Amino acid sequence: MMSDYAVHVAALEKVFDVPEREAGLRAATKSLVRRKWRQVRAVHGISFDIAPGEIVGFLGPNGAGKTTTLKMLSGLLYPTGGEARVLGHVPSRRERAFLRRITLVMGNRNQLQWDLPALDSYELNRAIYRIPRDDFRPVRDELIELLDVGDLVRKPVRNLSLGERMKVEIVGALLHRPQVLFLDEPTIGLDVTMQKRIRSFVAEYNRRHGATVLLTSHYMADVQALCKRVIVIHHGRILFDGPLTGLAEQFAAYKTIGVALENGHGGLERYGEVIHRDGEWVTLRVPKAETPRVAAQLLADQAVLDLTIEDPPIEDVIELVFAQERPE
Amino acid sequence: MGTVRVFWLFFRVGVMNELQYRMNFVVQLLQSAITLGVALAVLALVYSHTDDLNGWSQSELLCVFGIQILMGGVIKAYIQPNMTRVIGEVRDGKLDYALTKPEDAQVLASVREVRIWQVVDVISGAVVLGFGLSGIVADLALLDAAAFAVALVLGAVMIYCFWLVIATGAFWIVNMWHAIELFDGVYLTGRFPVGIYPGWLRYSVTFLVPIAFAVTVPAEAVTSRLEWQTLVIAALFATVLFVGTRWFWRFGLKRYSGASA
Repeated sequence: MMSDYAVHVAALEKVFDVPEREAGLRAATKSLVRRKWRQVRAVHGISFDIAPGEIVGFLGPNGAGKTTTLKMLSGLLYPTGGEARVLGHVPSRRERAFLRRITLVMGNRNQLQWDLPALDSYELNRAIYRIPRDDFRPVRDELIELLDVGDLVRKPVRNLSLGERMKVEIVGALLHRPQVLFLDEPTIGLDVTMQKRIRSFVAEYNRRHGATVLLTSHYMADVQALCKRVIVIHHGRILFDGPLTGLAEQFAAYKTIGVALENGHGGLERYGEVIHRDGEWVTLRVPKAETPRVAAQLLADQAVLDLTIEDPPIEDVIELVFAQERPE
Repeated sequence: MGTVRVFWLFFRVGVMNELQYRMNFVVQLLQSAITLGVALAVLALVYSHTDDLNGWSQSELLCVFGIQILMGGVIKAYIQPNMTRVIGEVRDGKLDYALTKPEDAQVLASVREVRIWQVVDVISGAVVLGFGLSGIVADLALLDAAAFAVALVLGAVMIYCFWLVIATGAFWIVNMWHAIELFDGVYLTGRFPVGIYPGWLRYSVTFLVPIAFAVTVPAEAVTSRLEWQTLVIAALFATVLFVGTRWFWRFGLKRYSGASA
């Protein structure tokens, strides 16, 4: 049943017409009279479903189609083709009942009143979302407590740091207790501590209220901490949809073996490519299929103090994924 | 009455916002004083040569001035800041936030900004109008006053529609700032009754940029020269414009949703 899903996307397409011209004055003059258009297929027939309460990471390089998809799901863009449903609604109809149940947070933009304390903006949102006063207070206070912004909401937003602003921004975006959260780069530009804070907040919010979260981020730490499932999108197509751990299995052609030897670390080159040395500890890169054989060989030949076999760091895997042009 | 409520809410926030910048009040006071001074000097100059301008006496023309300043205050307090914000937000994509709110997008786009210090212009306009009136009649007939109020509201609606068309244009033409400057220039024509202008200009400032309806028609009302047919035409034109621009706005919004990346 379709309505079992919080988000249902089937063969979703978005084609943009973009004006195109060469650089230079002559081309500029020409385009005044006759403009050339080029069709850009930003989203290329993607399909996926997200169950209620799931946190899904949406990964892809810049221009992959992530934001376009999020905008189609939040009703800002009309799909060129295919189907999108969020909580059973067709987003592009922008029905009030739908808009009251979702929220969109964009990390690089703010929507609170710049010169006023956030509390005033919250009051405005309360009215726009028609939240009864009695329901509003506990929700607001809970969010303020969870994000630890008790002092900040009384200061004019313009006086807050980037990270503080993001936190009060998130409070404002969740006052109507949306069931689906679209978070577009919510931690962009924030320091590590602040990123962590926001991450743990999203996890806690999801746990408490069972909200569905679709998150894009360039920080793999965000994705690793929050998302059991990732959807990797590139050139408008889905390259991978599954558990984060599966990503390395499917795309990484090698593993890393970390090894510490009793008698120094000479001659390890013959087991694999040495990519790192740190005192006793040596890291080797070994083709995935070879890993068991090489590990066994090491243990048999050398006086091994310690040995680990790991998937390559997730950043490297993602890079590998994006390096592939087409999955087929 | 969702619209009124949203209007009131943003009005409150707008006032709170503006109260943070008291200096703006002083600047506004100065600006209004200069505008008023120049206007009165021009008027004095004109009437030092003649007693009658196309059938309008000096006091009557003072009424036109007053209404032009008053309406200008309303435009700059509400209409212009909201519409320029829309133009800016189409450019930087912030309009997205207005569109994800469970509220009519046009209503939201039209009420989010208010410049309360422009009230200085509204008041000084009203004072000039009062002076003008005191030079014509002992007291204003009730019917004329009512016609004036109606004409003023209709005029404001038409000016709003005009601005909404410009703002909606930003969905296609990203740089609409020239149109704004153009309006400021054209609005100055409202200082005189449109009857004094040559036909092409009169036509333009009546139907293209509805300044005649916003200033001259209310002025005709207070100077007892308004024909009821004019008011009916104003009402019809305002209605057509309002419905038409709403349709155009929605059409533009669709295009925005279709094109922005």
